[in-house]
Amino acid sequence: MDRNYCQELLDAIERADRAGAAAVVDAWAVGRSFSQVVPELLSPTLESFGTLWSQGHGGVSLATGYVASKVAEDVLSRLLRESSPDGGPILPSKGPVLLGNVEDDFHPLGRNMVVAFLRTAGWDVRDLGVDVPPAQFVDQAEETGARVIGASAMMYTTAKNVARIRAEIDRRGLTGKVQLAVGGAVFKLRPELVSDLGGDGTATSALEASALFERLWQRSLNLDPTPLRALP
Amino acid sequence: MAALQDQPADRPLLLLNAGLYGAKLTGASLKDHYRDPAVYVEGQVAILETFSPDFLISPFVLAGLGEAFGSRVTSSLRQPPNVAAFAAESAEAALRLPLPDVDSHPGILYLRESIRLLAGRYAGRVPVIGLLVSPLDLPPLIIGLEAWLDALLFQPEVARALLDRLTPFFAALGKAMLGDGATALALTANLTNRFIVPERVVETLGRPALREALAEIPGPVILHHGGCPLLPHLGDFMGHPNVVGYVLDAGEDLGEARRVLGAGPLLLGNLSGPDLAGLRPDEVGVLCDRALAQRGPDQQFALATCCADIPLDTPPECIEALTDAVCRAGRVPA
Repeated sequence: MDRNYCQELLDAIERADRAGAAAVVDAWAVGRSFSQVVPELLSPTLESFGTLWSQGHGGVSLATGYVASKVAEDVLSRLLRESSPDGGPILPSKGPVLLGNVEDDFHPLGRNMVVAFLRTAGWDVRDLGVDVPPAQFVDQAEETGARVIGASAMMYTTAKNVARIRAEIDRRGLTGKVQLAVGGAVFKLRPELVSDLGGDGTATSALEASALFERLWQRSLNLDPTPLRALP
Repeated sequence: MAALQDQPADRPLLLLNAGLYGAKLTGASLKDHYRDPAVYVEGQVAILETFSPDFLISPFVLAGLGEAFGSRVTSSLRQPPNVAAFAAESAEAALRLPLPDVDSHPGILYLRESIRLLAGRYAGRVPVIGLLVSPLDLPPLIIGLEAWLDALLFQPEVARALLDRLTPFFAALGKAMLGDGATALALTANLTNRFIVPERVVETLGRPALREALAEIPGPVILHHGGCPLLPHLGDFMGHPNVVGYVLDAGEDLGEARRVLGAGPLLLGNLSGPDLAGLRPDEVGVLCDRALAQRGPDQQFALATCCADIPLDTPPECIEALTDAVCRAGRVPA
């Protein structure tokens, strides 16, 4: 009987069993091209996990989400080591996009998980770290050509700094062209803050961030398809 | 004092997580507020005189505990200090850090002196709650949350060793805070909450470690939800030594919590302190009335702001709405 590797990987994640997850990936890889691990194993598994997470499934804790992000990182690290035998791209290329915790916010866990899941989905993520001033977000967007900025804030106090990023984007005439995604515990508790503070969208879990970034990227292109920066 | 002593109170009790807001009332810089015990205490005096809560609190500056272990703390113009860089990169590395001396470390002396000054001023009249974290929540301040999750999830023997190392520090500081005059300690235990960690961690590490640590505290303890839902997992936090009360998360069902807890423990909640800044006073009043109506004549209930500090930009009228609500619901005139 064929093994259901996706279910086995999902089970390992739910048990917070990182080593068990690696063993499932190893077993899946026997006789297969590892270049297909993301579309054939990791993505469908994470999609199922994301559904459980967003539904508030009883066994899914924050740590389980963290384990999922670590499993994704493990798979991506191996993928980078084992380049595609046909010389094709290892992952689809999307982006670039930016991610960072807003100024005064020093809670990186959620952001790090989003970084892992976005990279799994093929985004070129530039991670700016914690305590990022508004100008730095927008400077980096202009330098890299990122059409989406992801700003993370855990607390209401720090979430207010999202409004300062919004103001900086608008002040530089980049309204619409640079989309502002926001995330963090406070936005889950108070969704009205997303628009109140000038965000263009949010996701209900880290795993849904990629779909959000896709929508925002497309909205930016629809509003203004010209590049953010002059091509070299 | 009545509720903590299981005596009838003359009105519903009120607790404000307003350590930060004291600086707004006194006009002190946050740098001074979180360094100088006398400045902090003046803030609590102003809170008491302005809003008449039934409890005073020690500084809610958990980053200071991380600083005592060597983490680097950064100050802010809008919120309490935060840990900006950790003292060690892993649980294994943290095992080699010396434990801070609760009788000489400046950051810890700030916490303790704040309690001493408040207790000296209000002894026997207004309870002073000492704010602390359980040993389970200390590592995120020393090595960061991710490194602590790595230990809890993937190196449970190392996590257990670190908890064993930190518990004596927690006990020494808890004893000292009670000795300084704290009426009770309020502490978080987030890393034994099923919202944060899987059942396996709760059962094998979290609950046993919490029980052992609480047994070392020679006084009453109130468990705080710490930003996580508490009600769905309340059973995990019951039956531990010295626990006399629970602070629920914002909006959690107070009636259901009382049903689960039974008569006896103090029940506190359920208004989000950070959200007060975004509400009108009449909206705050409605939320207060709803919470108070859920508990009716429950003498062991305190209307309380939960989650984080009440933000500096909260209009005072929104905090006065809490005072007005307990007076309306109580047996004394406003």
